Amino acid sequence: MLHMALIETSYINNTNNNNSQQESQEQKKQESLDFIPVVHVKDIYKSFDYKNNKNNSSSSSSTTNHNHVSRQQQQQPLKNPRTSLSTSSHEVLNGVDLKIRKGEFVTIVGPSGCGKSTLLNIIAGLDRPDSGSVLVRGAVASSDASSTKRIMIFQEGALFPWLNVQDNVEFGLKITKMPKETGHRVADKYIEMVGLSKFSESFVYQLSGGMKQRVAIARALAIEPEVLLMDEPFASLDVQTRDLLHEELVGIHKTTGKTILFVTHNINEAILLGDRIIVLSSVLKNIKKEFRIDLPRPRDPESPKLYEIKKQILREFEGDLQIAKRR
Amino acid sequence: MLKEDNNDNENATTSTAAGIVAGKSSGRSGASKRYRLDITDVANVVLFLAVFVGLWQLLSILEVWPKTLFPSPAAVAISIGELIANNSLAIGIGTTLWRLTAGFAISIAMGGIVGLAMVKFQGFGKTMSSFAVGLLTFPSIAWVPFSILLIGFNDFGILFVVIMASVFSVMISTYSAVRNVPPIYIRASKNMGAHGFALFRHVMIPAATPSLIMGIRQAWSFAWHALIGAEMLITTLYGLGHILAVGREFNDMSQIIAVMITVFVIGLLFDRIIFLRLEEKVRFRWGLNQHAE
Repeated sequence: MLHMALIETSYINNTNNNNSQQESQEQKKQESLDFIPVVHVKDIYKSFDYKNNKNNSSSSSSTTNHNHVSRQQQQQPLKNPRTSLSTSSHEVLNGVDLKIRKGEFVTIVGPSGCGKSTLLNIIAGLDRPDSGSVLVRGAVASSDASSTKRIMIFQEGALFPWLNVQDNVEFGLKITKMPKETGHRVADKYIEMVGLSKFSESFVYQLSGGMKQRVAIARALAIEPEVLLMDEPFASLDVQTRDLLHEELVGIHKTTGKTILFVTHNINEAILLGDRIIVLSSVLKNIKKEFRIDLPRPRDPESPKLYEIKKQILREFEGDLQIAKRR
Repeated sequence: MLKEDNNDNENATTSTAAGIVAGKSSGRSGASKRYRLDITDVANVVLFLAVFVGLWQLLSILEVWPKTLFPSPAAVAISIGELIANNSLAIGIGTTLWRLTAGFAISIAMGGIVGLAMVKFQGFGKTMSSFAVGLLTFPSIAWVPFSILLIGFNDFGILFVVIMASVFSVMISTYSAVRNVPPIYIRASKNMGAHGFALFRHVMIPAATPSLIMGIRQAWSFAWHALIGAEMLITTLYGLGHILAVGREFNDMSQIIAVMITVFVIGLLFDRIIFLRLEEKVRFRWGLNQHAE
């Protein structure tokens, strides 16, 4: 019963998520005119089977909530026929629907275990949904070759230690068989964009954490992705470096006009960067609320509007926590 | 407040930048220093050799054992000179190294291919790895009778023993090195569009290289042990092991010691010059030496 009620409220939230009606009308008009989303996540369901150790993605985030979730499942069998009902499986995403427009900077925020990394992995084609699909420019994206256009930046950077900075940035171009000289030029351009021209010959271990993430950003941009997927890319950095990288990322977004989908558990980060903030709920396993922020960047986290939004997001999290406790 | 933070921040980045440039150059020079001969190092080696030869000379003067059984360093030096003069040492070294290269190359090729097949086909990998571990501990010299009867007293018989001694080490290390490639590299490169052979060639192999080199180094030492043993037992006309066996038959202790020294030096040269440098180079590139220093 409770479950059903929750889903209903979530739909209400989804439709009423705009701050003012005028805005929503305007948006709808725009949608009807030129709206083929760059990425359209369509009704994604995903659950993980704990007996098969198949999924190592997002394991860190899902294990933390595993206890209370499994209890919840024992009391209340899942209503969705599409998800498997074995006791060892655990639902992560329950019918997530999301459209991202070209050039949009979308941040997804949620507590650990809400499935945000899983969602990103599915969009990247690194993980398969149980049902539902990911459309890129209106076409169903395969998990393989065309995945070049949805480039992921991992928390750890995932740079290759056997290559220097230049070769790391050129990696994706080499894989797509771009001529060497063109690849060189493209890589130079993006290495310069992230301000590491001096370090193009350095090896990975010689770089600081912030520099590593900059190389990862350059490596992703060099492939000219349709959408940049960032999975808590700055989570392991110190505050100053993170602030600096926020600034740089905003600059890069401005100059390249790339579509960016940015996952984080840090509310401040989400509201400082995003045009649109999507709040994922670990109880609903779905999008709970959406905020649109029109403030110019760089933004002041102390500004009243951001503060208000931050408070609202926190309230949503708290609501989840209360429900989780009651179960 | 915020401004100050930013300033600090900038200072921090420039200073880390400078640190990295400095670290880089010092790292490079450190690496080249490692290969340059250090005077104290040379002095230590010379001193060690002097003491060793001195003790040896002392024992031979005291005549604890008869002179024929325990020759003086000078006698061994003369013996080395004779072996060089009549060309048998050069031919012996040439033959032995040829056998080593051929056997080891075949081992690497076969072990590498089977090791990769073990990664590809999981069931085969599981059974084969326990089988290979069993054969890895199997004493290589125990292959000799089998090889003599099956193949005979010739080069191929020796090669067979060398291959059997080292192929399983290559196999196991390929298998485990490729299997232990961090999944994050594979996920990242797949996301960038790598798959099939490109994934293998540009990600799996380089990522596995440090442990592969260690495995190959171990395989080389197995091959070397087996080769000298096999040369002594499977008598052909040439090879260092053969000269050793001849020395034993003619009771020529100084020839035996001369060959032992040659074997020692070859082993040392291979290990120090080829494998250590290769490993150092890879470790330096990956930054794996950071912890050791």
